[in-house]
Amino acid sequence: MIQLSYLDYSSVEGKSWLHRCSAATKMIGMGLVLSGVVTLRSLPGLLFLYAILLALFFISRIPSKIFSLTLYPLIFAVLFIFVSGFRTYFILLIFLKVLCGSTGVVLLMATTPYPLVFRVLGKFLPSLFVTALFLTYRSIFILLNVLEETEHAIHLRGGVQWRYPWRSLVNISNAFGHLIIKGIDNSEKMYEAMMLRGFKNKIHYRGE
Amino acid sequence: MSHIHLPDGVLPVWLWGSGFIVMTLIGAVLFRSIRQEEVSKRLPLLGMMAAAMVLGASVEIIPIAYHVNLTVISGILLGPSLIFLATLVVNVILALFGHGGITVIGLNTLILSIEGILGYCLFQLLWRVFKRLTSAIFLATFLALLVSTFSMIGVVSLGTSHYEEMIHREDQQGIFEFEILKEKGDHPEKDVKKDGINLRRFMAVVLPLGFLGWLLEGVITSLIVRYIYRLRPDLLRLKGVTS
Repeated sequence: MIQLSYLDYSSVEGKSWLHRCSAATKMIGMGLVLSGVVTLRSLPGLLFLYAILLALFFISRIPSKIFSLTLYPLIFAVLFIFVSGFRTYFILLIFLKVLCGSTGVVLLMATTPYPLVFRVLGKFLPSLFVTALFLTYRSIFILLNVLEETEHAIHLRGGVQWRYPWRSLVNISNAFGHLIIKGIDNSEKMYEAMMLRGFKNKIHYRGE
Repeated sequence: MSHIHLPDGVLPVWLWGSGFIVMTLIGAVLFRSIRQEEVSKRLPLLGMMAAAMVLGASVEIIPIAYHVNLTVISGILLGPSLIFLATLVVNVILALFGHGGITVIGLNTLILSIEGILGYCLFQLLWRVFKRLTSAIFLATFLALLVSTFSMIGVVSLGTSHYEEMIHREDQQGIFEFEILKEKGDHPEKDVKKDGINLRRFMAVVLPLGFLGWLLEGVITSLIVRYIYRLRPDLLRLKGVTS
């Protein structure tokens, strides 16, 4: 989840031509990638699509640490190969579809600041949903800070040791409990601040 | 485990399309039933709980390919209507990081919200019966995860003919395994049946791993709720308990 900060940093600070493209154009491009992933059923076609996405990824000078994020869904795709009876073609097809989809979305999020993505979504999705999406995205960073602090505190006190699995599990669960309570406290403060600034069920983005 | 970690393009269009339609219909009905002011007042809480779910989903327990969902605890804190919106938001954000496909957002939302809503209802029921927090929350979480995992298996099994079509395309094209298949060519029908879709094997892998996950999530959720109960019992809105 730490890569999320890199993703956000890359989308704001990046200077490549893909970063300069409009959010709407990139989202249309993502739509095309998705339709390719849905309709393509040949390995050469999917390989070609993946090669294009990889080329865009490296041309856009996105930090290489983010690349591991595109490989993450493969962990779950491995489970799905059991359906097929271990057929090489099917496994490769599934893996390439996973990689094309994940590389596409990571490419979009690494080159487009999230308020711009939500602004485009706000044009055709209910404002309540887009506001919830925005607040969640913002809350992830708030909770990440709390989680990091709690993680350090637990680590310094030797809270997670594999020799004592039960005690470690209790400490990890307490950390999540702490995260939830802190999150709820923060959400109450956030609501008060939003009301003071005139929030009325819709967040307005710059340029609206 | 209940999350459908399938990429885009694996499930048939009619299946994920139906997922979006059913999700929209249920969402519309649920939001008609709650007041607008109530929703806007609880939006920051919804955002925080959805963020906690996203963070939980990012902590992968590699050997069993499991991550905690925190859907039941979120369902208890948010209530059945808002947990639906929260799971939708979580699925959209996870899909934007490549965790689950974009086209399966509708199906994922339905399955995860079954977990949240069922977890909430079971917890309320079991709390009334047992009056013991740990047992009530553990059982509610375990059962909710069990039901949602079977729902996921049900959804995967609905796409069987589509997977078969994808596998047989290989036979037509003859890529990679052509030579091997040629050797087996004496009994082609038998070979296709043998190498075709095997949902039993899928279940044999998913269910034991899922069982470990349900236990683990049940224990973690119980410990989290116990911690919250000690510090902020008002958040759980338990009947018969004064904060």
